[in-house]
Amino acid sequence: MNEMTNEVIEETLYLNQLSSGLTVAVARRPGFKKVFATFATHYGSIDNTFVIPGTEEPVTVPDGIAHFLEHKMFEKEGGGDVFNDFAALGASSNAYTDYTSTTFLFSSIERAAESLEILLDFVQRPYFTEANVDKEKGIIEQEIRMYLDMPLDRLHSNLMGALYQKHPVRLDIAGSVESIRTITPELLYQCYQTFYHPSNMVVLVVGDVDPESIWRQVERNQDRKGFALQPPISRVFPSEPSAVRVPRVEQKMPVSAPLFLMGYKDTQISGSGEELLRREIAIGLMWQMLLGRGSPLYAELYQSGLINDRFHARYSGGTTFGVSTLGGETLDPCRLESWLVERLPVQELSREDLARLKKKEMGEMIGLFQSPEDLAYAFNNMFFRGIDLLKYIDVLSSITLDEIQQVRDTQLQEQSRAVSLILPVVSNGSKED
Amino acid sequence: MQHPIETEAGFVGQFHDGLGWYVYPTHRFKSITLQAFWVNDMDPATVSFGALLPHILKRGTVSWPNFTAIHQQLESLYGATFRADVGKIGDKQLISVSLEIIHGQYLPGKPDTLKAGLEFLDEVINRPRLNIDGVFEREYVTQEKELLTRQIHALINDKGQYALYRLIETMAKGRSFGLRKLGRVEDLAKVTPEALYGYYQTVHRNSPFVLIAVGDMDPDVIASYVTGNWNGSRRELVKIQPYTPLNRDHEVIEKQPVQQGKVNLGYSTRRTFASADYPALMMYAGVLGGFAHSKLFVNVREKESLAYYAYARLDAALALMIIGAGIEFDDYPAVKRIIGEQLEAMRQGDIDDQEMRFTEEAFRNDILSEEDVPTQLIGRQMEKLVLGGGLSGEALIRALESVTVREIQRVAEDITLDTIYFLTTDHSATGGGEAQHE
Repeated sequence: MNEMTNEVIEETLYLNQLSSGLTVAVARRPGFKKVFATFATHYGSIDNTFVIPGTEEPVTVPDGIAHFLEHKMFEKEGGGDVFNDFAALGASSNAYTDYTSTTFLFSSIERAAESLEILLDFVQRPYFTEANVDKEKGIIEQEIRMYLDMPLDRLHSNLMGALYQKHPVRLDIAGSVESIRTITPELLYQCYQTFYHPSNMVVLVVGDVDPESIWRQVERNQDRKGFALQPPISRVFPSEPSAVRVPRVEQKMPVSAPLFLMGYKDTQISGSGEELLRREIAIGLMWQMLLGRGSPLYAELYQSGLINDRFHARYSGGTTFGVSTLGGETLDPCRLESWLVERLPVQELSREDLARLKKKEMGEMIGLFQSPEDLAYAFNNMFFRGIDLLKYIDVLSSITLDEIQQVRDTQLQEQSRAVSLILPVVSNGSKED
Repeated sequence: MQHPIETEAGFVGQFHDGLGWYVYPTHRFKSITLQAFWVNDMDPATVSFGALLPHILKRGTVSWPNFTAIHQQLESLYGATFRADVGKIGDKQLISVSLEIIHGQYLPGKPDTLKAGLEFLDEVINRPRLNIDGVFEREYVTQEKELLTRQIHALINDKGQYALYRLIETMAKGRSFGLRKLGRVEDLAKVTPEALYGYYQTVHRNSPFVLIAVGDMDPDVIASYVTGNWNGSRRELVKIQPYTPLNRDHEVIEKQPVQQGKVNLGYSTRRTFASADYPALMMYAGVLGGFAHSKLFVNVREKESLAYYAYARLDAALALMIIGAGIEFDDYPAVKRIIGEQLEAMRQGDIDDQEMRFTEEAFRNDILSEEDVPTQLIGRQMEKLVLGGGLSGEALIRALESVTVREIQRVAEDITLDTIYFLTTDHSATGGGEAQHE
């Protein structure tokens, strides 16, 4: 077993890779009542073109299939669903899909070992039929329609579609009502076979548990299933031009005021591990220095009435894409945009701000370890990019002002910038009492 | 007057003469969480003042006179999370100011962050930035009025929340629990810096005040801060007025350019958190629609594929139950019918052992899981104080486990449909399409 420890924040993660290639990680939280566990695969909505093991040519699958597959994993052979198996133990279960991963989870008070067994088994026992796949289409269609009525969701989704010409991150994670109608059990099995191999997955358990016994339990469970080794997955991504598809996209919705989101596509993204982490921290610090709550620019925007206190500026990415997004509700999107474009490249970056924001980041990293859900999200996200979460503090402390200057020069490229707007439509709302 | 029953397991503290403090000392967390509350009645005359006040308090203090100074201070305190907010329980408006900060023992140089955090909160509450006339900064009041007005209008952006609010407002028929915690646009427009400062002084002097803390600390630090710094003869907490039904099967349909319909049903339950048989009501709502194994989820979503979500939840203060679902517009009659059938099944006692057992276990999981989250622990203590008792923690778990199907049927008999609210399409939505401007 491999222990990763960070002395500064006094936290340890216990990692172990089993013979099937599955990684098991444990974060101990002494005194916590609940055990929270995730079983995640490095497979998300962007992985839509790939080579099925044992074949030669890449295939392209319908948009939204990773999310559809996530829903269908809860189905059991012979009827019934996995929610009931967890419910019998008093555990609750859920799952989520994002651009790069699919995560299954449970939280349990006393019966963590039994719950972990159910988690490992249901994710490794697919059961898709024509009937159960068809039934799910109605449910997911309602989920997609719910998102279509969520202005912030549309704002982000439209921005990604404007920034990216080719990369599948431009598509909605859940796909569309039309694309999911073409999903079949055969397609689901193909995706499952490719991406749910243990070597592409990680188990994380957070709680007042013994790392050694967790690892032994998972190993016993996996040994029973006798997975054959699988070569690395071949994923195909189109090369993305540095220019955006369109610089501006607007949609009208029943909102009270315009919603504004500006994005910069990261055209320099490459590599994995510490190099990627370093860039990500530097870009994150840059946005906090430029537009964080303690920055002069933020105060100026706030006092001029151009933004409210939900305005944000942040960076997020995988290994094949990355975006900076900044925005929120505003009454004057044009003025806000021109103000940002003018000021962001020239605003002075100070050493004092950097030192203070490093303290903030450090406190937030310590806080992360007491929120199992957030810790799991951060850990899985970094694990799939080859990043050691506990290196965060060391890398953070070594970042220099020069690096922040450099990432600003590379990130704020005009040709990689787009704006998404949601504009109010005047509702002819009627009431019938 | 002492209220010993209102102290949660694990908390120490007291509340009398409108003043109180509670501490949950524990090694479980690396952070310290402090939250101060003022409790006021929801009153049309003051609710907008109450909503605006926290926004002004977070703009500046004597030592940190503006937004930037406050936030730079928080960043220096290792990214402490600061909130000044307004909440609502029943017909009470809660003005709260909170800080979550990493405990010094986990930080380089081991700073006393409990002291620093307490000083910060004290400064925000007691020494707001004032102008030369001795009232709140005019500029801050003008800006925050504008932003709060926009926030009130923005309710329409979240269709689920909007539908829920419209249901409650319809049911309230002008009674104070139907007011929004954010206040009313027409009243906000009239707020002046002088009037708002006067309101602040009244609240500061008279409103029930309580400070709640969670983390590795000596409770005496909090006790002596509260008793040493706060006026000890304040207004007492007044009991929340539960809902007495005003409608019967009242239906409201509203149309907007939306992609999905939202149906919300409001029921009167005649029981609040403090009622002796409240655990039976919790079991009722849990079996009906609290979880993924519940009747509504199974029948509306899993069997009929009519919704992505379908839930039932209780308002413990107002004696209400709300059922909600996001559905296809044309399925409205079918969804109403299925919901009606599930309620009838509850009345008939058509509940098997598995549903009982799953629901008991799920509540147990929820109740104990709250104890891993400092803000949820604080919320639980605050709810108990404001609602005037009721079971919680292990005692509540035991009570839920002893509930019988007969007892659930008994509470089912009192549950009456009051109002249905349906948000549906006006057939003008663009289908999520975008217009491009190149």
